[in-house]
Amino acid sequence: MTDTQPMLAVIAEELARIVADKGETLPPLTPNSVFLGGELPIDSLDLATLLVVLEQRTGQDPFRAGLRQFTTVGELAALYDLAA
Amino acid sequence: MLERPSWLHPAFRLIEGGEGAGWSEFRWSDLAAMPQSPGGVVRADRASRVLAALAAAERAGVGLLLSRRDGAPRDWTAPPGFSVTLETSGTTGEPKRVRHDFNRLRGRLRGGPDEGARWLLAYEAGAFAGLQVILTAAFTGAALVSVPGGGVADLAQAARRHAVTHVSGTPSFWRAFLMALGSDALPLTSITLGGEAVDQPLLDRLAAQFPAARLRHIYASTEAGAVFAVADKRAGFPVDWIEQGVDGVALRLRDGVLELRSPRAMLDGGGVVGDGWLNTGDLVERRGDRMEFVGRLDGLVNVGGVKVSPEAVERRLLTAPGVADALVTAQANPITGFLLTALVVPVPNSDEAELRAAIRRATADLVPAARPRVITLTDRIPLGATGKKGRKAAS
Repeated sequence: MTDTQPMLAVIAEELARIVADKGETLPPLTPNSVFLGGELPIDSLDLATLLVVLEQRTGQDPFRAGLRQFTTVGELAALYDLAA
Repeated sequence: MLERPSWLHPAFRLIEGGEGAGWSEFRWSDLAAMPQSPGGVVRADRASRVLAALAAAERAGVGLLLSRRDGAPRDWTAPPGFSVTLETSGTTGEPKRVRHDFNRLRGRLRGGPDEGARWLLAYEAGAFAGLQVILTAAFTGAALVSVPGGGVADLAQAARRHAVTHVSGTPSFWRAFLMALGSDALPLTSITLGGEAVDQPLLDRLAAQFPAARLRHIYASTEAGAVFAVADKRAGFPVDWIEQGVDGVALRLRDGVLELRSPRAMLDGGGVVGDGWLNTGDLVERRGDRMEFVGRLDGLVNVGGVKVSPEAVERRLLTAPGVADALVTAQANPITGFLLTALVVPVPNSDEAELRAAIRRATADLVPAARPRVITLTDRIPLGATGKKGRKAAS
């Protein structure tokens, strides 16, 4: 299994930036944080922004073939392979 | 008590989230007792207000404007005779108003009494699709669950709490809704998608998570009305429909653009190309036995169900102080379909923080979907072979 820790850090950093642009503060993220479950101050446009930024930053688009299931921060991190 | 409108079934009830965590239940008697704002206009932020105002306008025989913004609407005089005027969510500037004959709206309602159904209102109450859901629930005697101003997490919570059975929303709504639900089950029997092209992976996921539900995607537009519904759980529509037509609508292709002739079209709504044919502006391509939607002739892209113009947004960026040149493109993503991003060339010696603030100010009055969400500074914008900026949507 890939170590998702570095990717979790990237997601936390970029999501904090997106949330700060809205004038809000991101609570501490854990791998179990649910993106659109109401605990994070983000909407679907913010989440879409995160995915576009992650593609720019990692050069990877895990969704090229369509929608892949993810609900939590940890599940999203596992879709990227930073060692690649 | 006031007489109940003929389009509101006696069994209908509205379950509406209030301020805080409370829920209110409205029957006709509660709606009839609501105070009415004068002037044939209602702030359409709650289903209860919309229903009460519709009943009052029908009784008074005047036109009603469902306003989607705060404050008094500009240049509004209620027209004589009962009609409903909606505001479209324009990308830029003033919203467009579209007036509908109420009997025609009613004529579109389908389905007999279905008192066991519980609808979730996943559209704004003042949007055309939202009004359709409200009227369908009222007409069939269903329950309608609404969370005014609620985000997708609130809607998922409400759906679980009230065990909704019928949900209609855009593909972007469904992607976010599935994420908010996680693996929680819902007793869904009817799933409807509309407002943007649907992709196969989303249909597959919905079919897998809600195997008992009827799954339909609707093709409709303001000018053409409801054109057709596709119920075979596959994206696009059957190639045969081009030859044979569907549901009273004739279809044809002209230079890759879908044209149609429909008894439900508004022939004064624009796009008429002669002989009753209407140019939809939607580009379609044949893939095997299916026709699939591949984009818009006018370059509009769909961001979470809102059609936005990258070119119009780009012109807006060019007005921001410190911007020498800009290119706005649509980036594909699995949540909202597309998202606008911008490449910006700053004028020499500009301050990045000031530039970003100027860009934010220049786009602040656009709907959120039309604001470029990722802005990259660059020293030049690549031009395509024609010397034009390459605006093709990235995928």
